[in-house]
Amino acid sequence: MQDVIGEPGNLAVSLNQHPRYVNPEKCTGCGVCVEACPIRYEVQLPPETEAAARTAYASATDEETVTGIIGRYRDERGNLLPILLDINRHFNWLPRPALEHVSQELATPLTEILRVASFYNAFSLVPRGKHIINVCLGTGCFVKGSPRLLDQVERKLGISHGETTEDMLFTLEVVRCIGCCALAPALRVGEATFGRVTPAQVSKIIDSYTQAASS
Amino acid sequence: MKITSLEQLLKVKEKGLRQTYPGKIKVMVGMATCGISAGADKVYQTLKSKIQELGLDVVLTKTGCIGYCQVEPLVDVVYPGKVRLTYQGMTPEKAGELAEALKAGQILTDYLMCRIDAEEMLIEGTTRPYANPHPPELPAEVPSYQELDYFKKQVKISLRNCGFIDPESIEQYIGRGGYQALFRAVTAMTPEEVIGQVKAAGLRGRGGAGFPTGLKWEFCRKAPGDLKYVICNADEGDPGAFMDRGILEGDPHAVIEGMAIGAYAMGATEGYIYCRAEYPLAIEHLKTAIFQAEAYGLLGESIFGSGFSFRLKIREGAGAFVCGEETALIASIEGRVGEPRPRPPFPAQSGLWGKPTTINNVKTWSHIAPIIARGAQWYASLGCESSKGTTVFSLVGKVNRSGLVEVPLGITLREMIYELGGGIIGDRTFKAVQTGGPSGGCIPAELLDTPVDYDSLGALGSIMGSGGMIVMDDRDCMVNVARYFLDFTQDESCGKCTPCREGTLRLKEMLEAICEGQGQEGDIEKLEKISQLIKKTSLCGLGATAPNPVLTTIKYFRDEYIAHIRDKKCSAKVCKPLITFTVIDDQCIGCQLCRLRCPAEAIEGAKKTVHNILQDKCIKCGTCFDSCKFAAIAVE
Repeated sequence: MQDVIGEPGNLAVSLNQHPRYVNPEKCTGCGVCVEACPIRYEVQLPPETEAAARTAYASATDEETVTGIIGRYRDERGNLLPILLDINRHFNWLPRPALEHVSQELATPLTEILRVASFYNAFSLVPRGKHIINVCLGTGCFVKGSPRLLDQVERKLGISHGETTEDMLFTLEVVRCIGCCALAPALRVGEATFGRVTPAQVSKIIDSYTQAASS
Repeated sequence: MKITSLEQLLKVKEKGLRQTYPGKIKVMVGMATCGISAGADKVYQTLKSKIQELGLDVVLTKTGCIGYCQVEPLVDVVYPGKVRLTYQGMTPEKAGELAEALKAGQILTDYLMCRIDAEEMLIEGTTRPYANPHPPELPAEVPSYQELDYFKKQVKISLRNCGFIDPESIEQYIGRGGYQALFRAVTAMTPEEVIGQVKAAGLRGRGGAGFPTGLKWEFCRKAPGDLKYVICNADEGDPGAFMDRGILEGDPHAVIEGMAIGAYAMGATEGYIYCRAEYPLAIEHLKTAIFQAEAYGLLGESIFGSGFSFRLKIREGAGAFVCGEETALIASIEGRVGEPRPRPPFPAQSGLWGKPTTINNVKTWSHIAPIIARGAQWYASLGCESSKGTTVFSLVGKVNRSGLVEVPLGITLREMIYELGGGIIGDRTFKAVQTGGPSGGCIPAELLDTPVDYDSLGALGSIMGSGGMIVMDDRDCMVNVARYFLDFTQDESCGKCTPCREGTLRLKEMLEAICEGQGQEGDIEKLEKISQLIKKTSLCGLGATAPNPVLTTIKYFRDEYIAHIRDKKCSAKVCKPLITFTVIDDQCIGCQLCRLRCPAEAIEGAKKTVHNILQDKCIKCGTCFDSCKFAAIAVE
C-alpha cells in the first residue's frame, strides 16, 4: 500500500501491485502458473496474440475438419482431450496448424495444449505412417516372446520402434497391453488385431499391407 | 418408449427372452477382441454367407467372450427343444461344415467343447434348463459346461451375461433380469438402504486397493454439495489384464446399471466412464448401450418416473498408465495433463471439478446390480472372511488354459493354476505367478497354497491388483521380469514427484546392468535401499508400488540375482549378453533349416555337414533353436 487519502467512509487507496501477466521472454512453458491460478484454466490471452496469424494447413479441407471436430465438443466441459483424440485419429498425428486452431478456438494457450499433447502416449507430434503397427509388450505377451516378435518386425521394416518407414506406409510402436493376453503374443495393425503371432508370420502380415498399398 | 413401471420392464424382458431363445436354431459367435484376433470375424462372415446361400432359417448373432479365450474362435449353437452346444477352435472351413450339418438337420458332432444343459439367471436366482441335454445323436462323452475343469469352480457375477447375450441388445440384457435391481433401488429403497446393502455385502473395490465400496459411497453421500459425480474407471492399464475389456465388450449394461444405482445412492446426477483408447470395441459397445438405455428412459431424466435423473458420458483415455490413479483420472477428464495430486482432499470431498466424486472399477460396478437384486447376505456368503464375493482374473502366460476366470475370493493359487488353468504348458516347471501388474509381485512355487484375497497377497509383498495373473515357467528370468516392469513404470511415471521419476530410472539402470552381466557386488542391497525409499516417499500409488516387482523377486529369487551378478549366468537363458548359441556336432545332420532362417546370416555350413554359428554375427534371437528339429542347438 502506497497511500491513503480522504476521510473514513470515503477513502481512496493507492496500491503497488505485481504485474498480472506472463513475461514471454522469461516463460519456460512449465505450466505451473496454470496449476496455481485460482481461476483455473481461464487463461487470459493478450489481444495481440488472438490476431496473430496461424500456420497454414496443408489443405483447405483440413481446416473444415478441425472446425467440425471442435464444434462437436464445444459446449462440453473438459473438451480438450476428446478434441485432440479426434484430430489425432483423423490425421494420424497432431499437425501444428490444428493445435494453433484449437488454441485460438478454446482460448487456451498453445503451451498448455502442447503440454497435454506431449504427455499422453496416444498423441504424436510428428507425422506417422498410413498403418500404425503396435506390437504388444504387455506381461502376457512379454512372457510368450513378444520381444522377439518386435525384433522381427523391426528387422522386416528396417526401422526401430517409434520410427516410420520412408515411404510413410508403416509406423512401428509398442503398446502396453491391448487386452489380448490369452492369445499372446499379439500385434495390431491399425484396428486389426492378430493373435498368437510367430516371428515367422510377421513377413506375411506386413506384406499383405504392402501389397494392398501398391495395387 | 420410456419404461416407467415394472409391467413395462417385464414386457421388454419377455421381448428380450424371445430374442435370446428364438425357438429356432440360433448360432452365436464369440466376437470380443480376443475372438476376433483368433479369427472369429472370418468365421462369422462365412456363417452369414453360408446361411444365406443355403437358405437356412437360423438366427445368427454375436456374443461376448465366455472367458475361455484359449480355444477361440468359439461358436455356440442352440438346438431348440434340445441343448446348446459349444464348438471350439472354429475356422471358416469348420463353420462351412457346421452350416452344411444344419442344412441337413443334423447336429455337428466334431469340434465340440461342451454342452450347456442350463443357463443360470443370476439376477433372479433361477436356472433355465434346456429341454433335452442328451439327444441320441450327441456322443455321450461330450462333457457339460459345469463339468469342465476350467468352469467347474467358477462363480460368475461380473461375467454373468458374457457369452450368453448379444452385448448390443439391451432387450437381451433385460431378458436375463437386467435393470430390475435399478427399478427396485429407485422405487422401493432409500439411498441409505442401498448403501447399507453394499456395506453389508462386504464388497471391496476391485480395482486393486480393496477399499470397502459401501464406506466410500457413504463418504460421498454425506459430502455437502448439490452436484456429485460417479466415475467408472475403465482405464485398465495393467499389462496382462483384460477383465474390464471382457465385461465392457460382453455386457456393458452390467456396468451402466451398477453406476445408475450408485448415482442414486450417492445423490449424483452425472457420470463418466473413463475407458482406455486401446479398447475401441468396448467404447463402441458402451456407446450403443448408453444410447439404448436412454431410449428406454433407463438413463436420463426421471428414471422410472421416480424423479431421479442420471446422465452418463464416455471419456476416452489417451494412453497414460498413471490415469488409472483416481486423482490423475479426474485431471484427465477435466482435459488436463493426467498427473496425480496429493490426497486429502479425497475425491469423495473434492473430485471432478471440485465436486464430491466416487470412482469405482468396472468390476466393482458390475457387482452392484446382483447385490441389490439378490441381497447382501447372498453376496457375503461367497468368498472368504476378509474378502467377500468373487472377482475376475485374467489367467495368462505359460498356462495350458488361459482366459478370464471368475472365482470366489479365497481360492488358492494352486487351484487357479493347476485346476482351472490345467498346469504349465509342456509340463515344464512352474517358477512364479505375477499378480497385480507393475504394482504387484512374483509369488514362487512354495507359496502356491496361498489363498487369493486382498490380505494374503498383500502379506507376501504382492497385491491382488485388478486381476492380472501371469504364470511363468523355468524359462522366464526373474531379473529380466523385474527389469521389464521397471522399464514400464519408469516410462509411465508422470514425472511430477522426484522419488518416482528418478528412483525408477535408477532401479531400471541397475537392473539393465545386471541383465547385461555388468552387475556388481552390493547391487542387491542398493536395489533394496532405493526401493524402500521410493515406496515411502512417492506421491501416488504408482510410485509407492513400483518397486514391488523388484522387492518380491529379490525376496523369493535372490539366487538368480546372485547368479547374474557373481557368475554372469542366466539360468533361464533369457538375458542375451549372458548366453551363447552353439551347434551340437553329434546332433546336427546339416539340414540347413537354421542357416536359411537365421536373420543375421550368422550360420555357415553346407548341406549334410555340421553347421557352425559365427558368434560375432549372432544376435541371439533364438530362431535357430526354435527351428531345429533335431535338438542340435545348445544354449549356454
